[in-house]
Amino acid sequence: MAGPSKLGRKGDRPDLLTAALFVGFGALGLWAGRDLTLGTASAMGPGYLPRIVCWLLIIIGVVIGGFGAIHAREDISKPKLWPLVIILAAVVGFAFIAEFFGFVAASVWLLLVGSIADRESRLREVILLTAGLTAFGALVFIVGLGVQMPIWPF
Amino acid sequence: MNFVDLLMLGFSEALTPTNLGFCLLGALLGTLIGVLPGIGPTATIAVLLPITFYLPPLAGLIMLAGIYYGAQYGGSTTAILVNLPGEASSVVTAVDGYKMAQKGRAGSALAVAALGSFFAGTVATFGIAIAGPTLSSFALSFGPAEYVSLMLFGLLAATILARGPVLKAIGMILLGLLLGMVGIDASSGEERLTFGAVELFDGIDFVVIAIGLFGFAEIIENLENVEARGVLVSKLSRLWPTREDFRRAWPAVLRGSGVGTLLGVLPGGGATLASFCAYSVEKKVSKRPLEFGEGAVEGVAGPEAANNAGAQSSFIPLLTLGIPSNNMMAMMLSAFIIHGITPGPTVLATQPEIFWGLVASMWIGNLMLVVINLPLIGIWVKLLTVPYRLLYPAILLFCCVGVYSINNRIFDVALAAGFGLLGYAFRKAKCEPGPLLLGFVLGPLLETNIRRALTISHGNPSVFVERPISLVLLIATAGVLLLMILPSFRRTREQAFQEEEA
Repeated sequence: MAGPSKLGRKGDRPDLLTAALFVGFGALGLWAGRDLTLGTASAMGPGYLPRIVCWLLIIIGVVIGGFGAIHAREDISKPKLWPLVIILAAVVGFAFIAEFFGFVAASVWLLLVGSIADRESRLREVILLTAGLTAFGALVFIVGLGVQMPIWPF
Repeated sequence: MNFVDLLMLGFSEALTPTNLGFCLLGALLGTLIGVLPGIGPTATIAVLLPITFYLPPLAGLIMLAGIYYGAQYGGSTTAILVNLPGEASSVVTAVDGYKMAQKGRAGSALAVAALGSFFAGTVATFGIAIAGPTLSSFALSFGPAEYVSLMLFGLLAATILARGPVLKAIGMILLGLLLGMVGIDASSGEERLTFGAVELFDGIDFVVIAIGLFGFAEIIENLENVEARGVLVSKLSRLWPTREDFRRAWPAVLRGSGVGTLLGVLPGGGATLASFCAYSVEKKVSKRPLEFGEGAVEGVAGPEAANNAGAQSSFIPLLTLGIPSNNMMAMMLSAFIIHGITPGPTVLATQPEIFWGLVASMWIGNLMLVVINLPLIGIWVKLLTVPYRLLYPAILLFCCVGVYSINNRIFDVALAAGFGLLGYAFRKAKCEPGPLLLGFVLGPLLETNIRRALTISHGNPSVFVERPISLVLLIATAGVLLLMILPSFRRTREQAFQEEEA
């Protein structure tokens, strides 16, 4: 991790990211709940507390961002996109394939694609692991525990 | 019924073959994930929550609890043997435990850890049995105003005691509260914050958030960091500690049990905080502080006793008040709710077999863990050699199936992936995801009680200060806030957490 470095440069990047996330979600919440009935304190409508929470979130975000901007510079540890994209793609793919083609196809996709997230993976291992885990999952989860998912596409 | 009768009731429940089986299963699973780095108890329990649907309530709860305290035992094994704490609460154990192992005394360290944990577990279990009924009957007099104040105090205190910057933790709690508001509003029937998605009308499921933030985000982060695995330094020496070890360890175990039991009860407390505090206590009272970091047996005995005691006693606020004190207890709360039990003061009165059965099972589980961890240590050591590239695909599959099985729909899996991305962003922003989970779980409860309290008082907020218990809790909350602002306390807190980084 990068510590405070390079004299004179300002801005704690993790804090600024936090501020952006908090303010962003607060604003999103205010926007999503803009039509909700507010009500009064004695008879609160569904929008009363969400609005308070959103404003608090925005305030906290702004405070963190303010302090972050004047703190000494600190960088965000460099993100590696490869594992992030691969894992998310594997999971989202699992969801859609499971819907249309059943557990086996989805599981094979998840494990094959998921495995390339780690560059140390070896083809032989991956194939054996995929076969074993898919069979295990189908037997234990679908047959054994009765999870409601078709095993095959047909 | 008197105390002994209730304990007997508990043991008769816990000793049925089914419950014993699930207790053992939980302890084994807990040890497994404690040993294996890369998946924590939070993610594991999230994966297993949907499965406990199919179990009788007590069996499910016993298993989940077993995973939690089992992970404390397992975490210490890897901390000592390979300097790789499988669990946050074992981080300090690695300091002196690993040094002991390097000096060829791994066996002694493991035995002290396991026996100390068992003793502490026993103390904490008795603590629950004694404190439970008292606190419960006290809590029965709580109205909505008291609950609101209690939850505010709990949420705030939890952030103070959690690691990391306080403001970020408060923001995470607020975000959790906001996420908890998604869905159909119970009192008006209006849908809110759903963006019109039918799948969100019932709200976001707890498991979806937990698996996204803890399961998927953890896997992604682990893959980012190049795998750094320690190697077993030496052959396992004899397991039984020397007489000198015993003499030095037992006072540390006693102190650790006390520190752990007390800190576990506090909001935000639990195993991790307890082990760090116990370590600094041992260092302070020791006549040989220089030995710490060089393989002092007290440095293993104290924290190990404390983390196990803390893990157990953090059940107290959940079981007696219905308020989870850390994210693990938030998981347990959802486990209770899945089975239609609302934990809190009424459970003790109406379903004593659940409370006492769980308490008794904890003691039995601790006994099992000594057996699982000492004679079978060789098996766990072998597991350590399984590389992460073979582990994470399995974890990935379990997470996906676990999320899917809550509502049998793919939407939840995709949503969990979204929370995985969010969790990744939080890690980059150095925000701990734990408080979010706490806010999410307590949100609906907090909102209902705020609304109730203010409806009864016709919108007059003075209701929160006119009721004495509520007032005391609010004063305590203000005190905690004040502490946060005081520079000297902030420095101490920062120092305490820095010690952990070192």
